[in-house]
Amino acid sequence: MRHRARTGLALTLVLASAAAAAGCATTPDRGTDRTAAGAAAARTAVTSCGSRLSFDGPPKRAVALDQTSTETLLELGLQDRMAGTANLKTKIPAQYQEAYAKVPVIAPKIATGEQLRAATPDFVVAGSTDLYTKDRAGTREELAALQVPAFVSAVDCPQQNEAGKSPFELLFSDYEALGKVFGAEDRAAALAREQRAAVAKAGESAAGTARDGKQPTVVYLYSVFNGMPYVAGRTGLPSEMSRIVGARNAFDDVEEDWPEVSWEEVARRNPDFIVIGDLSERGRPGDSAAEKRRAMAEDPVVSKLAAVRDNRIVEVPGIELDPSVRSVHALGLLAAGMKDLGYVR
Amino acid sequence: MSADAAGRARPAAPATDLAPEPAPAAATGPSVGLLHPSARTPGPAAAVPPPPSAAAPRYGPARAGLLTAMAVVLAASVAAATRVGTADVGWTDLARVFGARLGLDTEPLPPLLDSLVWDLRLPRVLMAALVGAALAVCGTVLQAVTRNALADPYLLGVSSGAGAGAVAVVVLGAGAGTLGVTGGALAGALLAFAGLLLLLRRTGLDSVRIVLTGVVVGQLFTALTSLALMASADADTTRAVTHWLLGSMAPARWDAVVVCAVVTPLGLGAAWLCANALDGLAFGADTAASLGIGVRRTRMLLLVVTAVLTSVAVATVGAIGFVGLIVPHGVRFLAGPLHRVLLPHAALAGAVFLVWTDALARVVFAPREVPVGVVTALIGVPLFLVVLRRRGEL
Repeated sequence: MRHRARTGLALTLVLASAAAAAGCATTPDRGTDRTAAGAAAARTAVTSCGSRLSFDGPPKRAVALDQTSTETLLELGLQDRMAGTANLKTKIPAQYQEAYAKVPVIAPKIATGEQLRAATPDFVVAGSTDLYTKDRAGTREELAALQVPAFVSAVDCPQQNEAGKSPFELLFSDYEALGKVFGAEDRAAALAREQRAAVAKAGESAAGTARDGKQPTVVYLYSVFNGMPYVAGRTGLPSEMSRIVGARNAFDDVEEDWPEVSWEEVARRNPDFIVIGDLSERGRPGDSAAEKRRAMAEDPVVSKLAAVRDNRIVEVPGIELDPSVRSVHALGLLAAGMKDLGYVR
Repeated sequence: MSADAAGRARPAAPATDLAPEPAPAAATGPSVGLLHPSARTPGPAAAVPPPPSAAAPRYGPARAGLLTAMAVVLAASVAAATRVGTADVGWTDLARVFGARLGLDTEPLPPLLDSLVWDLRLPRVLMAALVGAALAVCGTVLQAVTRNALADPYLLGVSSGAGAGAVAVVVLGAGAGTLGVTGGALAGALLAFAGLLLLLRRTGLDSVRIVLTGVVVGQLFTALTSLALMASADADTTRAVTHWLLGSMAPARWDAVVVCAVVTPLGLGAAWLCANALDGLAFGADTAASLGIGVRRTRMLLLVVTAVLTSVAVATVGAIGFVGLIVPHGVRFLAGPLHRVLLPHAALAGAVFLVWTDALARVVFAPREVPVGVVTALIGVPLFLVVLRRRGEL
């Protein structure tokens, strides 16, 4: 109870100081928000997953709580403003490694509240609200009370998003919000523009894939952990990627990101082609593309599928099948793979 | 899933340990169970428990000394353990944190480091002490009430109920907004206990029935938990819930500490007032009844007290295994079987044990943190073996 009272008091202080800063407006405009009218915008503010975050100036000690957020910040060239990263799932790709080496790792896995506070951040970025719990990094309210804004990617914020926005559009809105926070709007806008163009390019031939009014069906094989296949359901990014390139995810009837299904069910759906998520960087049993090919070849039923027999298989890095700054790369591979398999006329 | 494993181990125990309510004469035989070797030694002196009036222990200077020493150890442990963690906290840092709050003229720590100590570390250590005390006392009480050496606070199924409640909130999103994980766990725990009482209403409160019904209720809720997890959780959620089920002090904050700090002393006091009855119950219902103890009423009171204590602990920090099982045995070895003496010692020992196991959980695999339930089991198993060996049970 005492804690709650303290939180309330701190919140009041934050709000009061925010009001004071907005009212005085004597601090010079740092040019962080060029679209806002006049000098009243001394504080930058963005809305992130239902919370309004405001900043006195660009953060200098940002902490990214997972690999996706880390790569986004590195892509925006913000490594010098980062005080830590955490929760690395696979290897950092070559293009970010040099920048990544400059950032301290506060936790190899999920960061705890103590580790986060010990890094004395002035801004925290995460791909999902799941990382902001009491037994992990601490709640967003707790961090707000400490005057540390906590950002959550729009991609994993289903309640707060406006309906009908595609996962790629949500990713781009993240870039723009982060660019605004860090005063790196130009770089963020360029990144969004570039990736928007890549999405448009991947969708160019989508109209020509249908035969007899039917688009080719695809199964995304993400993992064969313990011998059971994990495939893409309707809520994950691959479903959207399929729509963009003019294919249909065969498991679009399952309302999950990566449901665990059976090989019989994969066989029953009899997809026109299969996308394998190569997770060899993760390095657990069954993670590499070769092992997934072998698992399909060894299954008595799946091995008889036309897609497997005729080797109609596209390989993409598995990590890129979850929404991140690298996802457009997998989308490009998917579009090119479909062209190679002759689905594009 | 250590609580689970213990749950599965339990059903075997009653067959050998618990002949249904042996007559006082039979109480001298091996069926008395593992409560204490002295209880098994044939002979009138051991067969008849001290009458309640005489049971008021003569606190010899040695006994009082032991209790004082343990209280001092607990205070020192809390202070020392507050410094242990992924971020080092020095004595001067601690002094600055307290100085700022006491209005002393000290330079406060930077806000985030101050928050690390005051909002996270300190409530966590205090929570460990409170939960450790509560679990150890609940274990002691239930071992006497059920006359089963394998009894622990989760015997009544409350931890499985709490797990099911938490999973219902996390996975299914039932009442996520209003209850939260803690509220869901508390609701589940109390629901499980209500189920237990409902089942026991028809059959009565004899000790074998309490054990068996607890197992039944626990297994039901464990199955529901597994079902909800398998049916609708992704790998990340499953991992988060598993972490929670194993027990972790990380979610402890001041509001939870305050709740525990109010409930725990009340529960411990209530158990302590029943100390004489517990001595009688440890020898069997008939003996207890012949000593003028209202067996049914006392058992019911003690079941409610332990269920509430355990539920409050489990709701915040999950089902931390083994504390409630081994601490009573270890302390019985040091302080003797009389509950008036045993209960305060068990509370202090449980508190010290959990404060240090949680400190270890923070640092042994640093920078990763392991659920404290894993550490209590890893340390508890060898300790349990040593205690049983030295008492000649194994």
